[in-house]
Amino acid sequence: MRIERHPILTFTKGAKVQFYFEGEPLEGYEGEPIAAALHAAGIRCLRHSPVRNRPRGFFCAIGNCSSCLMVVDGVPNVRVCVEKLRAGMDVRRQKGKGDLNVSD
Amino acid sequence: MTRADVIIVGGGIMGCSIAYHLARRGMRRVVVLERSHIASGATGRCGAGVRMQWGTKPNCLVMKESIRILEGLEQELSYPHGIGFKQKGYLFLAHSKAQLIQFQKNVQLQNSLGIPSEIVSPKDMKRIAPLLDTTGVVGGSYCSKDGHCDPFHTTRAYALAATRLGATLLQYTELQSVTKSAEGTFKLTTSAGEIEAPVLVNAAGAWSGYVASMLGVNLPVYSERHQILVTEQVERVLDPMIISLHEGLYCQQTPDGSFIMGLGDPNEPKGLDQGHSWQFLFAVSKKISRLLPDITGVRILRQWSGLYNMSPDRQAVLGAVDDVPGLYVACGFSGHGFMMAPAVSESMADIILGNTPRVAIDVYGLDRFKNGNLFYEPAVV
Ligand SMILES: Cc1cc2nc3c(=O)[nH]c(=O)nc-3n(C[C@H](O)[C@H](O)[C@H](O)COP(=O)(O)OP(=O)(O)OC[C@H]3O[C@@H](n4cnc5c(N)ncnc54)[C@H](O)[C@@H]3O)c2cc1C
Repeated sequence: MRIERHPILTFTKGAKVQFYFEGEPLEGYEGEPIAAALHAAGIRCLRHSPVRNRPRGFFCAIGNCSSCLMVVDGVPNVRVCVEKLRAGMDVRRQKGKGDLNVSD
Repeated sequence: MTRADVIIVGGGIMGCSIAYHLARRGMRRVVVLERSHIASGATGRCGAGVRMQWGTKPNCLVMKESIRILEGLEQELSYPHGIGFKQKGYLFLAHSKAQLIQFQKNVQLQNSLGIPSEIVSPKDMKRIAPLLDTTGVVGGSYCSKDGHCDPFHTTRAYALAATRLGATLLQYTELQSVTKSAEGTFKLTTSAGEIEAPVLVNAAGAWSGYVASMLGVNLPVYSERHQILVTEQVERVLDPMIISLHEGLYCQQTPDGSFIMGLGDPNEPKGLDQGHSWQFLFAVSKKISRLLPDITGVRILRQWSGLYNMSPDRQAVLGAVDDVPGLYVACGFSGHGFMMAPAVSESMADIILGNTPRVAIDVYGLDRFKNGNLFYEPAVV
């Protein structure tokens, strides 16, 4: 199932693009929330909770609940339910509270 | 009219810890009045840093004792949840030679009192806090035994221990007026009725000046808003509290992974405003991005403010109010009262009961404003 309408955001469904989930190529539409593309691809577990390590999925959909925090292009804690998809994005399940990119 | 042996106004860290020590020393009817919930004042809004690195001897001694107490406080107060005391150090940044010389003096004083602080080079600082950009930093001082403690749990731990020992905590009960009878009893009108006691302790934080004025006492303190923010949580990357007196900035990562940071504003007017501003978010983000560039992308979750109760020499005001027998005050903490509470509350209880306190606090007495014995604390943010 593809999510077409969002409770608070309006988004335009752009061109079909490729992006990566855990390193595997997937397809989605540019401009839709990343979570919508993942959902359409059948991906239900977006992260594991930091303390008890329980699977967490798509939940509030409005950027509030922390259920869908993922690492996008190396940046932790991205709320994929409100972040728009772009071609070539690298989306990964976050481990723990998210690692900052620390420069040397 | 209800009678008590002592009434403490204010359910912050000071009021709750003084109540505990009075009850533990056998005082029977100890009552704490708190107009909202415990830790609703500065205590629950503070940066919760705890350090021994001070520039005056009394503060060093009080804080050395406070940290010793904090190390065993969970057991002392039988508080199984824990008070979140973490000793990951405090790192002071010197941005100039003059500042480094002041730090050297402070460290010398601290070491002479048995405090394990040290002067560190920018290279050492990179090792202690790899996240730190040391551009423009000429050195600093560091003490690995300084740290952080959860203000809500610490206050609650004291409050529960006090009530187990028989003290009464009246939350959502506001002191509205107080008079002193000819026999020397304080008669208080509160939002929940009248209550009287021969001893009254003013631990009302930012509102201590107002409470004192109800008895015609003029305390040399004023209040000042300080803003602070917390970010989302990330895995641990920063051990010590980072302090720049030059920027008026402090930042630490709490045990749960969020960064807490605050910035003093030299133009902040005196008053009781507890609002907050976008200008603060702007200013603090800009400064912290320069010092800790790697955390620039971390999202801010929340901002708020609290009130410092300031005194002329930025030192606490503690002890008896000579003009009004039976009246005691613990205020004027000038932004560092949370950390002082463990030691100061014990000494306050002893003074109220006529005992000699283990840690002397007479230099913090009100008489210093009469006889000119102010002692200015340089290491305040
Ligand atoms: C942003 C910020 C950061 C800080 N960072 C630190 C830090 O890192 N380390 C540190 O040690 N300190 C820090 N402080 C300072 C510290 O918070 C205070 O010094 C300390 O909490 C004071 O405790 P208190 O119990 O005296 O006052 P408060 O916690 O303010 O308690 C006073 C209480 O009295 C109550 N009250 C007032 N009037 C009445 C009345 N008429 N009737 C009934 N109740 C009344 C209030 O509701 C309040 O709860 C910081 C403060 C702020 C604002």
